[in-house]
Amino acid sequence: MSHLRKMINKVTATLTASAVLAGTSLSLHAEERRASLAPVPHFVEEAASAGVSHSYDGPWEFFVGGGVAIFDCNGDRRPDLFMAGGKNPSSLYMNQSPTGGALSFKAQDTGLDDRLGTNISGAYPLDFDNDGKMDLAVLRLGENLLLKGLGECRFETANRSLAFDGGKEWTTAFSALWEQGATFPTLAFGNYVDRSAPGSPWGTCHDNFLFRPQGTATDRPNYSEAARLSPGYCALSMLFTDWNRSGEPSLRISNDRQYYRGGEEQLWALPADRPARAYRRADGWRHLKIWGMGIASIDLDVDGYPEFALTSMGDTKLQTLDDEADETVPVYRDIAFEKGVTAHRPYTGTDLRPSTGWHSEFQDVNNDSLWDLYIAKGNVEAMPDFAAYDPDNLLLGQWDNTFVETGDQSGIALERRGRGAGLADFNMDGLLDLVVVNRSGPASLFRNTGAGTAETPRPLGNWLAVEIQQPKMANPHGVGAKVSVKIGNRTIVRDVQIGGGHASGQSTFLHFGLGVSERAQVRVRWPDGDWSHSYRVFANTHVIIDRGAESARLWYPE
Amino acid sequence: MRKVLISSAIVLLLPAAMSLADEAKAPPPWDERVTRALDFDTVAKQGPAATEQLIDLGQRLFEGKFTLKEGAGRPEATQAIVPTKRRRPAQTMFQRMAGLDANACASCHNVPFAGGAGDFTANVFVSEGFESADFDTSDPQFSNERGTNSMFGAGLIELLAREMTADLRAQRSAALKKARAEGAPVTQPLETKGVTFGKLVAHPDGSLDVSAVEGIDHDLTLRPFSQKGVFASLRQFTVNAMNQHHGMQPVERFGTEWTGTADFDGDGVEDELSRGQISALVAWQATLPPPGRKTDLPEEWQTAAAHGEELFSKTGCAECHRPSLPLDSLTFLDPGPYEGAGTLRPSDVEAPIAIDFSSFEWVKTLPRDDRGRVLVPLFGDLKRHRIADAARDTLGNELLSQRFVARDVFLTAELWGIGSTAPYGHRGDLTTLDEVIEAHGGEATEARKTYSALPEEEKQSIIAFLRSLEITQ
Repeated sequence: MSHLRKMINKVTATLTASAVLAGTSLSLHAEERRASLAPVPHFVEEAASAGVSHSYDGPWEFFVGGGVAIFDCNGDRRPDLFMAGGKNPSSLYMNQSPTGGALSFKAQDTGLDDRLGTNISGAYPLDFDNDGKMDLAVLRLGENLLLKGLGECRFETANRSLAFDGGKEWTTAFSALWEQGATFPTLAFGNYVDRSAPGSPWGTCHDNFLFRPQGTATDRPNYSEAARLSPGYCALSMLFTDWNRSGEPSLRISNDRQYYRGGEEQLWALPADRPARAYRRADGWRHLKIWGMGIASIDLDVDGYPEFALTSMGDTKLQTLDDEADETVPVYRDIAFEKGVTAHRPYTGTDLRPSTGWHSEFQDVNNDSLWDLYIAKGNVEAMPDFAAYDPDNLLLGQWDNTFVETGDQSGIALERRGRGAGLADFNMDGLLDLVVVNRSGPASLFRNTGAGTAETPRPLGNWLAVEIQQPKMANPHGVGAKVSVKIGNRTIVRDVQIGGGHASGQSTFLHFGLGVSERAQVRVRWPDGDWSHSYRVFANTHVIIDRGAESARLWYPE
Repeated sequence: MRKVLISSAIVLLLPAAMSLADEAKAPPPWDERVTRALDFDTVAKQGPAATEQLIDLGQRLFEGKFTLKEGAGRPEATQAIVPTKRRRPAQTMFQRMAGLDANACASCHNVPFAGGAGDFTANVFVSEGFESADFDTSDPQFSNERGTNSMFGAGLIELLAREMTADLRAQRSAALKKARAEGAPVTQPLETKGVTFGKLVAHPDGSLDVSAVEGIDHDLTLRPFSQKGVFASLRQFTVNAMNQHHGMQPVERFGTEWTGTADFDGDGVEDELSRGQISALVAWQATLPPPGRKTDLPEEWQTAAAHGEELFSKTGCAECHRPSLPLDSLTFLDPGPYEGAGTLRPSDVEAPIAIDFSSFEWVKTLPRDDRGRVLVPLFGDLKRHRIADAARDTLGNELLSQRFVARDVFLTAELWGIGSTAPYGHRGDLTTLDEVIEAHGGEATEARKTYSALPEEEKQSIIAFLRSLEITQ
């Protein structure tokens, strides 16, 4: 305990010193904050030097949204960026970062004209036609787009060839999943306010849409039929999840109470070959009203049932299945307070008003084998009851199963209004970097320099990056799979998902922190439920696991 | 023999304030504790002037019997190399199977001197320490029983391994570069210092097929320590061993940064071994002189040994037990270049501790090749081989694979010093050299058959040769 007290004193002294230097005074809540015993990574913002110049902006319709898709669009396995621009054009950046070096991106033409390239709120990568090249689902104010990846970071609009009606709605959420036996993915689009309805915006949330592939074509999906998920409650994030280990997906939707009437958070069952059905109170689903902005999902206690972090205005929620739950009864309870992730107001500065949380994501940013939680923060526009200076959170997982805020110590606490974001290893050094799309301000691009500095990066814990593939099969990237990494007696698991966050998704190597383990055993539960054998791999490397392969392939960015 | 050539004079010039151990906190001379405070950065900054003191402190730590007061014991932690909590507190502090199984390093490493091998009585029971960590039986389903290895010459072994790792990784990089440039797969044979390690296939997309890599881990890190070859460095081995055998937990693996507590083993002592103390242990082990040859042999033995050495090559023994491997650099840097988190890394320190082996007398005894490289007379190839089969399963006597290495695969035993380290075999249960030679199966089958077919007199010559390889002090 004496050690912990020393650490608390240390962070207090550090913060006080910083405040004195800045000529400001610190609020009491910041001084009382616990210090992280887990190592704090050091992030360096280098968007400008990296060649990334992008801003998400626009009128009321773009107070929300502002997503980024992180994926490899040119086949070099380095994550590239597609960024929503709102009224501004969207941007496409090809990753040219040298391994372990400063971040570097080259702007590419999106191939979208002025009409389709604007009014974009977010984007998610997926390979909807199974051709091995990443495609994009683009969310817009107006017609949504399915962009077919052609390689070399070129795309073509495939709405017509896929019989996909992009609609006219204000779309703000997305998720996708290959249902059991399906050749192509089912797509869910979440919509916000129906501005044309009488009384808009209050109580006029639009329905959401579910596109299940039709017909028997094998070369490309047919999305000619859309099913309404009604009622819609102004979705700002949605995520297909196997919350009950049934093998059958459900769709979690986080909704914005600002505009709905009588609404709540939602969970939809997707029984095979039958219409989707919303869980109700009688099913055990408990009424929860929040300003739902972003869903992050991870199985924190490795019981097979994922936890869900839900960002909002004020408290972030962290939901876990309650003891009363069973496979058909989704009873969740909130453990955000006991875990220390409420993140309900700014952790630094003098503004005591509640925070506004947006994108959320579980990752291991210090490679200590404990999950961390990133939350993008920022006032909606100028809402007087909420904090104006509201920096992004970086909550580091601790060995006592709680989280400790380190946004300021890690260097990500900028005075910007965060929206969409993503953590990915842009320079392939084993440390997850961070991109944040900010409203009415420059996008942030942080390089994670670990225990070091921009000049001298230093690693933290050991790590492993895993890519899974199902060669010559539908769903080549294994969406819906679970990857299990065993180090000693501990197992770390994560699901391969498309969706969640705030208008932002990624399809890159799956990153695992291994702490002090120099090796690990990896098993994959493929989307059809089959488990792989155990792959023996060494730390600090990228591995590719092909379904059915005897051993993992290695990959080197050099 | 271990004396540093130049440092003693320099040490005399050091002001008292620069003593490695913190004199201000020095305990009384009768104090039972082994540990003394030692700061890594202070040692690194002092450079060669600190080497002798560092080694002396390392010897104290290697030979001393750790006490409860300084952290011996791990009531709440297992022997595992990844910090792992016990399911229930240990019943007893000492227990010969799962540990603590020794008071000091030298409790086992003592034949013929501290740092050496051990008799059967000093066998260790190797378990991963995750599942069934609390075994109290020698039943091989719970642990692999192993003899104690000699550490003499270990610094040279590690330097060889580092250079071989660098060579192999450079070959990997070149293959990847070529595959990317040519847009076609490149098959790259792996070879360093004349030892082959199979091949790999680099693809234009940067992926690598390592299924044909042989005798080394797929990450191409040559791990030259332990009978299985699963530890890359003396430092990694030492960190593991201090926890397993003594419950003395090094901060760099078990400290707050990686476990959230300064007292992971729950014995009431925080931060039990510092970076500097581990460096002292590394320095002492690394500078143990390499084994040599007996110099006072009667003529009859000399003649037989000379003939036996020729036969050793002719029978094929020297295919794996290579008489020597060339070493380019004699500078031992601590930490080494290929450590991962949990063992001190170069990136964790401002500057490494550098020990120049050329300043030691024993280096003069080593031959050099025409390029000036030291020829390290290890009688090994630092490569793993399958050494047992159905017909000869004595050396495949284990049930558990260690790390990712199959149960019948072992690193070629270095034979330098073998004349001083009976008994033989991985379990230390073979009483004569002839027994252990006859036990060879697997990849060594042909060489063993050739030996078996020799007339008894020639077999004796080989024994005479091997028994002339001794550990000297």
